[in-house]
Amino acid sequence: MNDYKFSELEIGLKESFSKEITSEMMDMFYKITGDCNPLHCNEDFSIEKGFRGRVVYGMLTSSLISTLGGVYLPGKNCLIQGVETKYSRPVYIGDVLNVMGEVVEKHDSVKQATIKVIIRNQDNKVVCKGKLRVGVLDEG
Amino acid sequence: MNREEVYAKLNEIFEDVFDDEDIVVSDNTTADDIEDWDSLEHINLVVEIENQFGIKFNMGEVNSFKNVGEMVDAILNKI
Repeated sequence: MNDYKFSELEIGLKESFSKEITSEMMDMFYKITGDCNPLHCNEDFSIEKGFRGRVVYGMLTSSLISTLGGVYLPGKNCLIQGVETKYSRPVYIGDVLNVMGEVVEKHDSVKQATIKVIIRNQDNKVVCKGKLRVGVLDEG
Repeated sequence: MNREEVYAKLNEIFEDVFDDEDIVVSDNTTADDIEDWDSLEHINLVVEIENQFGIKFNMGEVNSFKNVGEMVDAILNKI
C-alpha cells in the first residue's frame, strides 16, 4: 500500500494497477446490491440486446476507483470526498481493466487533491473516465 | 471586480454546491444558516471558490472565516 503525504502529491503524479473482472465478482456485487437487472444477470437477455455477454455493472468497474485512492494514490491516508464517472464502453466478464490515476489539481487550504481517472480494457480502449477528489489524512 | 460582483458570483457557487437555487448569502451568513453546510461541503465550497475565482486560500484563512462577509473580504484581497 502506498503512503503518499499531501505534500508529495505533485501535479502529474501517476499510479496504476490492473484487475481482471470475474463472474464471482459479479455474483458478489449482486449479493451486496441486489441489482438483478437482466443485462448483468442474464446472458441470453444481454445477447438479445446486442451485447456479447453479461454486461459488468458500471459501478463494479468504478468501484476500482476506491482501490486506486485507498491503496495507490494517495494510499494509506486517503479520504474519498467525491467521485464522478462516465462509462464509455461495456465491460465483460474476463476483461482485464487497467486503472490509472493522475493528480491534476491540489487545494492546499483544504488538503484536497483531484485525481483524473481513466480505466482501460485489455485492448487499451477506455471503458470509464472519472474524477476522484481525495482528502489526505496526514501531518495532523 | 467589486464587492457586489463578488457576491453575485459567490451566490451562484453556493447555489451549485448546495444544490439550492433559493440560497441568498450576505455578510452575516454562517454555516448555521444553511442546513447542508457541514465540514465536507465546506471543503467543496472552498475548492469551488478557489477554482471559480482563480485564487488560493491558505489553511489558516479557511479555518478562521466567521461568516460569508469575511470570506468575501479574503476573496477581494486576492483577485
